[in-house]
Amino acid sequence: MPKVLIIDDSAVMRKIIQRNIQQSGLLVDEFVEAGDGREGLEKATSNNVDLILCDWNMPNMTGIDFVKALRGSGQKNNIPIVMVTTEGGESKIEEAKNSGANGYLTKPFTPDQLKSKLGNFLLVK
Amino acid sequence: MAAIEGVIESIASDITSSTKTLFETMIMLDLKYDESSLVDETQIKTDVIGMVSFTGKYHGVIGLFCSKRFALKVASTMLMTELSEFTNDVKDAVGEVSNMIAGNVKTKLTAQYGDMNLSIPIVIAGEGLSITAVNNHPVVSDTTLSCFSKDPWLMTPFISGGEKFNVGLLLKESIK
Repeated sequence: MPKVLIIDDSAVMRKIIQRNIQQSGLLVDEFVEAGDGREGLEKATSNNVDLILCDWNMPNMTGIDFVKALRGSGQKNNIPIVMVTTEGGESKIEEAKNSGANGYLTKPFTPDQLKSKLGNFLLVK
Repeated sequence: MAAIEGVIESIASDITSSTKTLFETMIMLDLKYDESSLVDETQIKTDVIGMVSFTGKYHGVIGLFCSKRFALKVASTMLMTELSEFTNDVKDAVGEVSNMIAGNVKTKLTAQYGDMNLSIPIVIAGEGLSITAVNNHPVVSDTTLSCFSKDPWLMTPFISGGEKFNVGLLLKESIK
């Protein structure tokens, strides 16, 4: 069963995302959490995660720097990354995709929007 | 070049629509709002302040001003758990609310005025907090928050779940 890494500097947002996924019927076995890009990089490389959800604006290492670092490392290139962020606009979405993100969801989001976005990467019960 | 008053008016409208969107999607509490008005800093008294600053062609601060009771209500709704203590989760929730309002506003501003950068939210909580601009003395003391400008805040008043709160804006054109 899939393991999902949630990288967000807000513990509340990590809980909301986790709860929404659990209630959505998407199949997830375990959640791993990180509070910034640097911690996210450690967790992504030391855990066998199947999907990464990543905020953009965070202390220490931003989400976009995390994506560039993970993709640039040559490791875990097959793990899909979905940016979940308040950063909207075409240029940001383009930048994220060009850096190696596979999906993009802007906050605030409804549970249905999250399910629809993650449904591309996770199976439904 | 757009006059600063027009820009402020446009951002106030963006603040209202961003706050509405947030309450319709993630907070699920009723929301009513009134017209924005300029409020002198000496008139601001609040328990909780969530602030996000932005830079770009224009720079400034978007601030959420609310009571502890409202902060608890919002955090409880977001977490779907009844919270009675003012914990770090409550401050975190206020920060996220401020962040989502400012982020949405930023996206709209970027389309009009070019790229902007947002700070990470700062949350300050206490009892009856006031704001003071201290010229040449950027010192924070006691529960008085030092601010970058003596300009009045453009405040948009909201009511949700029977509680009043305000979203305020301070804005300046950046020097080239």
